[in-house]
Formats: sequence, structure tokens, C-alpha cells
Amino acid sequence: MSAQMDKRRPYIRSMNSWWKRDPYFIRYMGMEATSVLVALYAAILLVGLLRLSQSEAAYNGWLDALKSGPSIALHAVILVVFLYHLWSWFKVMPKTMPMIFVDGKKLPAETITYTGVTVAVVVNVIVLIILV
Amino acid sequence: MHPPLEKGQIVEVFKADVVIVGAGGTGLRAAIAVAEADPSLKVALVSKVYPMRSHTVAAEGGAAGVVRDDDSLEYHFNDTVGGGDWLCDQDVVEYFVAHCTEELIQLEHWGCPWSRKPDGHVNVRAFGGMKIERTWFAADTSGFHMLHTLFQTSIKYPSIKRFDEYFCVDVVVEDGRCQGVVAIEVATGKFTFIQAKSVIFGTGGAGRVFRESTNGGVVTGDGMAMAYRHGAPLRDMEFMQYHPTCMPGTGLLFTEACRGEGGFLRNKDGYRFLQDYGLGPAEDKPRNKFMELGPRDRVSQAIWHEERKGRTISTPHGEAVHLDLRHLGETKLRERLPLIYEMAEEYMGIDPAHECIPVRPGIHYTMGGIYANIKAATPVPGLYAAGECASNGIHGANRLGSNSLVDIIVFGKMAGLEAAQFAKSVQNSSPAALEKQAKVVEDRAVGLVTKSTGKERHSVLRREMGKTMEAGCGIYRTAPEMLATCEKIAELRDRYKNLDVEDKSSVWNNDWLGALEVGYLLDVAEVVAHSALNRKESRGAHQRLDGYEQRDDVNFLKHTLAYYTGDGPPRIEYQDVVITKSKPGTRAYGAAGVAADEQRKKEAGNG
Amino acid sequence: MADSTKTIEMEVLRYRPEQDKEPFYQTYSVPFTDDWSVLQGLQYIKDDLDSSLSFRWSCRMAICGSCGVMIDGVPKLGCRTFLRHYHPNKVRVGPLEHFPIERDLVVVVEDFIKKLESIKPYIIPKEPRKLEQGEYLQTPAQLEKFRQFSTCINCMLCYAACPQYGLDSKFTGPGILALLHRYNADSRDGGQEERMNLGHSEEGVWGCTAVAYCSEVCPKGVDPANAINQNKMGSAIDYFLRFVAPRGAGK
Repeated sequence: MSAQMDKRRPYIRSMNSWWKRDPYFIRYMGMEATSVLVALYAAILLVGLLRLSQSEAAYNGWLDALKSGPSIALHAVILVVFLYHLWSWFKVMPKTMPMIFVDGKKLPAETITYTGVTVAVVVNVIVLIILV
Repeated sequence: MHPPLEKGQIVEVFKADVVIVGAGGTGLRAAIAVAEADPSLKVALVSKVYPMRSHTVAAEGGAAGVVRDDDSLEYHFNDTVGGGDWLCDQDVVEYFVAHCTEELIQLEHWGCPWSRKPDGHVNVRAFGGMKIERTWFAADTSGFHMLHTLFQTSIKYPSIKRFDEYFCVDVVVEDGRCQGVVAIEVATGKFTFIQAKSVIFGTGGAGRVFRESTNGGVVTGDGMAMAYRHGAPLRDMEFMQYHPTCMPGTGLLFTEACRGEGGFLRNKDGYRFLQDYGLGPAEDKPRNKFMELGPRDRVSQAIWHEERKGRTISTPHGEAVHLDLRHLGETKLRERLPLIYEMAEEYMGIDPAHECIPVRPGIHYTMGGIYANIKAATPVPGLYAAGECASNGIHGANRLGSNSLVDIIVFGKMAGLEAAQFAKSVQNSSPAALEKQAKVVEDRAVGLVTKSTGKERHSVLRREMGKTMEAGCGIYRTAPEMLATCEKIAELRDRYKNLDVEDKSSVWNNDWLGALEVGYLLDVAEVVAHSALNRKESRGAHQRLDGYEQRDDVNFLKHTLAYYTGDGPPRIEYQDVVITKSKPGTRAYGAAGVAADEQRKKEAGNG
Repeated sequence: MADSTKTIEMEVLRYRPEQDKEPFYQTYSVPFTDDWSVLQGLQYIKDDLDSSLSFRWSCRMAICGSCGVMIDGVPKLGCRTFLRHYHPNKVRVGPLEHFPIERDLVVVVEDFIKKLESIKPYIIPKEPRKLEQGEYLQTPAQLEKFRQFSTCINCMLCYAACPQYGLDSKFTGPGILALLHRYNADSRDGGQEERMNLGHSEEGVWGCTAVAYCSEVCPKGVDPANAINQNKMGSAIDYFLRFVAPRGAGK
């Protein structure tokens, strides 16, 4: 009598284009993509720093480039992306923190998020006022 | 394409010392007990589902153990014996109440997240039929937490080998002893003979013989039927417990803790009707053994009567009464009864903080089972049984809430220790003899599928069984209805021989497994119906309306024993109940109960 | 809630390894009333239309964790998802993502079980205690620190939601890491060191990139994303502290 063969044949599904499968994943990839623009803006600022270290003329050249039409458009996009990035950053923040208990009740994630966003907005406004 | 399931397959053999069938609370506790008693013993833990799916997981309310200073073992003993309408074996109950608390502490040491008092001690709450608060609880998912604690703790012991999703089809009895089990590996359809020197059944109840129940799909009386077919009697099977507060339609459970926390039951006029049935007087605050904290059989019976009087609320799924939790307030409800809250909202679209929940009685627990003595031993040498699948005399004619979750750990441990000792004292018979038996078992199970002339479908047989059991073995029973049910079940058992299992594949074929389960259910259903027909009295959960409305301690202070006769109906015999300290008295609750207690105290003082 | 009988088209994934080369969807017409769950729909199919459809289920009340499936591409419990929300559209039911398909809606979960066993999911007592001494004292506040993470029903919806697990099954995954945290956070437990090697590795918390879909789909509010990510800070600190005060050898 032959040994019975195992008839299992588990089917493994592909992970190709996994992020297109679910709106949640698409939003997640979008959120992660905002960090690309954050990096881009950091690069722009670094170039500015470099120009500053070179000469006043170089620095002014950089400032002029920033004032160009395409540059303003780019900065508008970056601003919108940053605002979304600010919101999504604080949305994830409660996940990274241990539970906080106030009067025996767990502090809801929303409270942490709204507090963080509020503080960030206030600080930004203050900095904006100081600079302007 | 592979050929379908075929007879004559090689049966794999695994050699263990103790094999445990069922990995719910009982089986896991037994496995741990064996592993701790002697780590050199090989334990095979066989379950047709992954352990955390076992139905222990759905138990909600809690587990009883005496802790309060104003409580005593004697109170717990009296509550249990009275709650069981004196059908309990009192020697076993004495052992039981003396070991509940220590087992619950053991669970706590293993990490069970019992709800606590502010001072850090375990909290206890009131429960139906209990004189003093002694029910330990973990929110309203006590069974869930107990099961997960036991499962996760069992992982500590290397001597426990689990066979997850292995469906047990029979035990092997050779030389008059139980020497292992034959199981199907669900994923492959292949058979394994797990040889052992002793076998423990922790296979659960048989509520699925009824159409509607709180029970999950797995509660199909597998172990009961297997033991029964090998000569172990099924005891007191007529006592099937109706839980008063189940969701209409699905039968899902709303825990007794809803009433323990202070919930009310109202009829369609908003009246707390339980006071009309010897459970009053009604008070604002819950009072132990009064009103909604009466025992389950009494409360279910009251709801049945309200329906007859036309005072219930009509729902698309039958008549119901209202479970009123509104006065508890949302905060307390979300903290103490979060699962209940979720169920009402998700399944019924009801916010219990603002609306009443319609509930009706549903089958919940099987008091009866494989006869097992105080050492968890069945009459078949080497076969042990504990938990809901066993009848060891704790619950009698009606189980008190929160006595089952602690029954499974007290007697799960007992079964483990006894089976371990037995295993050390015997050797297995010759491998050839055992394997020959295993092949016979395998051929029979496969034969169910390979037979090509069958006409019946098991889902049809199952439905007809559920309907007839509901009609004949309901909350109130009459001889003609019970007789009709007995005859119907006999017909269904006969038709079962003509089964056609459409799915003939090997890999994860639960059409085949479902057919095997219906086989178990039909055998058990027949026992329930015949046991009920033959008990000519009313006691606990077995209530008659046909001239036998009273309890008859002269003729029926006895256990029913049902023996397998093959194709025919069970042979019914009777066995004396062990009475030690508590003579059968009036089973009274509410104000009448207080009076009865006073009377007993007076008599005890004078006697 | 109107309870007249309606019909819904259920598209269910089929895969019988002995006869099907590949999975495919099969459509069934299922009559239902408003209170029917997707699970009840599947049971109707099995009982009345096609007994060869295999799927796991038991309790019907979202506590046993058996019936996890993908419903219209989202991980859900079949017993707690209702057909009336999809009707009159079709509803598509498939096996949980990121697990190999055994048969029809049944997935191979051996990896999950192995991982559960690997994290030492039991109390390693901080202090020994005899049964006679009674229970460990634990205040309600101490219980709250871990209770939420102990309510995981092992339904594995979070694994179906986690792309990291889908891309690399070496990752321990949300549910099991939540269980690991449950024990670490229990005041009675002293086994944090023993669990650290796994917890603080790439297979542990560092495999998580805070997609947090796991916490979205969890039917019990366990919030595994929180269980994992709150440990990253501690893990990082521990990593650097090791250079300052190395742990003893032989651990």
C-alpha cells in the first residue's frame, strides 16, 4: 500500500500593486509620499545655506530664483503638502505613546492629536509674526 | 486530479502517554495538570478547532469561588445543591466547593485579568441563585480570558504536543481499556491513530441538538456520543438548560451578569413579572436569589408562562421580554458589560443605555453527560471525562451560573492527575491489535463519503432534528410531544445510514466533518428525548405539564442512565443520588426562599 | 427594521487544491432578512446550495475569532458584518489576505500560531507567590495598562491588513506583538528582558512602519499599532544604553 500523498497545495497570492488594493493603502502611500516633498524642501533650504556661505551675490541669486513663477507654484504645493503632513504626523503620534491616564480614564487619541496640532499651529503663527 | 478520499489509507501512528480530546478550558487545564505532575509524560492535546476557538471562549459572566468573609463553603454547597434541585451528588459538590477558590487563584497567577477592587484584590459579583457574591469575573468576557490564559500558559510546557484541527472520530478500546483515539487531520483528510495509555474527554456539551442555542458550531456532543457508543452511560441528559436572556433569532447570549449588575426583566406592560412566580417581592436594588437573580430554570419558565398569558413582546424571531439596563447608565454599562453593549448595538441596532433589549430563553448548557465519578473516571477503564461533556453530579437538574467555568478547571485538573496516574500504571496492548482497530474506525469514517447510493443530506437531517427537539424537549414537556420526538429521532437515525456526502475531497472537507457531527448529534438527541420521556416528574430544567408537574423524591430522586443499544433506542436505568448533608427541601427563592432558609436553620438547630 | 425576504448576490472565492488549478469566484443567490450576517449567508450556501464550500466559524458573536474574511476587499468578521449594508449590490467574500489559501475561505494560519508560541506569551512572575498567599494584588489602574491588549481574539484581521506582513512574513505582526506587549505591561510579569530579543528586532517592533490599518480593522479595539509603536522609544533607548552599560553574557 503506497503512502498517502499530502494533497495540500496552499495557494500564495501575489503582493504586486498591493497598495492599489484598498483606499486606506492609497492614502497611506500618499502620506508617505509627502515626506519626499519635505526632503525636497530641506534640499532647497540647504542649497540656500550653501549659497549664503559662498557670497552675497550667490545668496541673492538663490533668493531671486525662489521668487520666480515656477518656484512660487512649487512652494504653494509644498505648503499644502506640509499642512497635510503636519496633520497626519500628529494623527500618528498617539500611536507612538504609551497610554496616558487622567483621573483613571484613558486620554483619547483625538485629544493628543488636536493638542499637538493646535500647539504646532500656534508656534507657526508666532514664528510667522516674528519673521514678518 | 487526485483521486478522492479512499479507504485503505495508511494510518499514521503517534505514541503518547495521555491523549486529551478537546482543548477548551477543561482540556487545557487537564494538559497542564499532567505536564506539571510529571513532565516526562507525553501529552497529546487534540482539538477539531484551534484552542482559542473552543466554546469556553463565549462564556461571559464569571466563575464562582468563595472569598468574602461573610461567605462560606457551606453556603456555596447549599446554593449549588438547592440550585440543582437536589439531583446533585453531594460528595462531589463538597469536594468541588472546597477547591474552586484555589483554582481561580491559580488562574490569576497564570495571568488571568480578573476585574479588581480598588485595593487590588479580585472583585466578585452577584449571580443567579447564589446567596453571597462569589463570582469572579473578567469584565463580561470571563470565559474568553480564562481560555486565552490557559492556552497561552500551556505553551510553557514542552511535554504538551498539540494536534490543532484534528477531528476525533473514535476512541480505540482494546483489552477492556481505552488506548487512544483516531483522528482526521482536517487539512489533509489523513488519519492519525494517537496511541495512549489513558484518554481524557473535554469535548463540551451538545446544545446544537436544538434549533436555537447560545452554542457555537463546535458544540455537537462528539465525546458524549463516542463514549456512549463504547458503553459509557450518558447521565441526566434530559436536563438541558435554557438561559433566559438570549438574542431572538441567533440565540446569542446576554450574560446573567446583566442581571447581576442590576438589570430588570419586564413584560410588554413594563411590569417586572418575575414577582408573580415566587421570586418576589421586587426591589430596586438586586438582591441575591430574588427576582432577576433567581436561578435560570425558574426565570426561563416564568418567561414561558408570560408568553402563554400573552404578555410578551412580539419580535420577528419569536416572543420576547425586555431586558432593561437603562438605569445602569452608559458609563457603567461600557465598563462592566462592554460585550453586551456591543452586541446590542451591532446586531440589533439598540443602545442599551436608552432602550430595552428584547430577549428570550435559548438552550445554553448541557447539565448531563458522560457519567464520571469524583475522580473524573468513566466506567470505561482508561477513559476520563470532565467539564460540560461529563456528568459528575455537580450541577444536578439545573446549573447555577458561574459554576461551570470553575467546574472545568477543578475537574480538568482532577482528570489530568488521575489520567496521568493511570497512564503510569499500564502498558499498551500489541501495536498490531491497536492498529487493526484504528483501521476499522478509519474505514467507517471514510465509508460515509465513498458510499455512492446515499440520498439524504446531513443539513436536512440536522434541521429536522433541531425542530423536533425544540418541539418535544422545550422548557415544558408533555408525553405525546416527547414520544413524537423520540420517534422522529429514530427515523432520522435510520435515514442517516442513507447519507450522501457530496464533497468527496480530502483537503479541509468540512462537509464530511459536518456529516460526522450530525451522527454524534443524533445519538445524543435520542438520549435526551428518551431520558426526558421516562422521567415522570418535574425537577429543575425538566418540567412537565402532563400530570407530572411536581417533584417526586420517592421515585425519582435518581440519576437517569442511558445505555447504547446500537440501532435501537437507549436502555434507560436509574442510579441513586448521593445525599450527605442536605436533605431534599423546598426549592424556594425570593421571600419564600428566605422563609425556607429560616425553617431549615430551625430544623437543623432542633435536629 | 423591515424583515421581508430579499436576495443578494454573493461572490465567493473558491479553491479546491485537488481540482482547481487556481482560485476563482463563484456567484450564489442568497435570500436573506435584514438581520443576516455574511456568515449566515455563507451557511445558507453550504446548507442549501453547495455543501463543498469550506469556511471556519463557531461562536457567531465576534469572540472566537474563527470567521475572518475579506469582504469587498476589507478584512472583517463574517459574523459581525451584515448583508443589508451591501444590498442591492453584490458582495464579494474572499479568504484573508497575506495568508496562503488552504481551500476556499480557509487560510493556512500555522505561521501565526508559531509566532504566538515564540514570544513567551505567559506570565514570567516578577516575584514568586504561592497559591496559599492568594492573588497578586493588582489595582484597576495597573489592570488598565494592559487589559485592552489582552482582548485580542486572534482573528488575524490585522495580519490581513498589514502590508509589512504581506511583503515579508518574517515580521511577527500586529496581533502577536500586541500580545507580547500585553505581557510586558502586566504588573505581575518580570519577563521583559526575555522577550526583548524578539521584540526589539527587525521581526519585532522595527518591522512596523505605522501604516496602522491593523488598528482600523481590529474588531475588538486592541490597537496593535499602539502596542507596537509605543515600544520603539524604549527599544531605541535600550539600544543606546547597551553601549553604556552592557548586559551580562549568557542571556
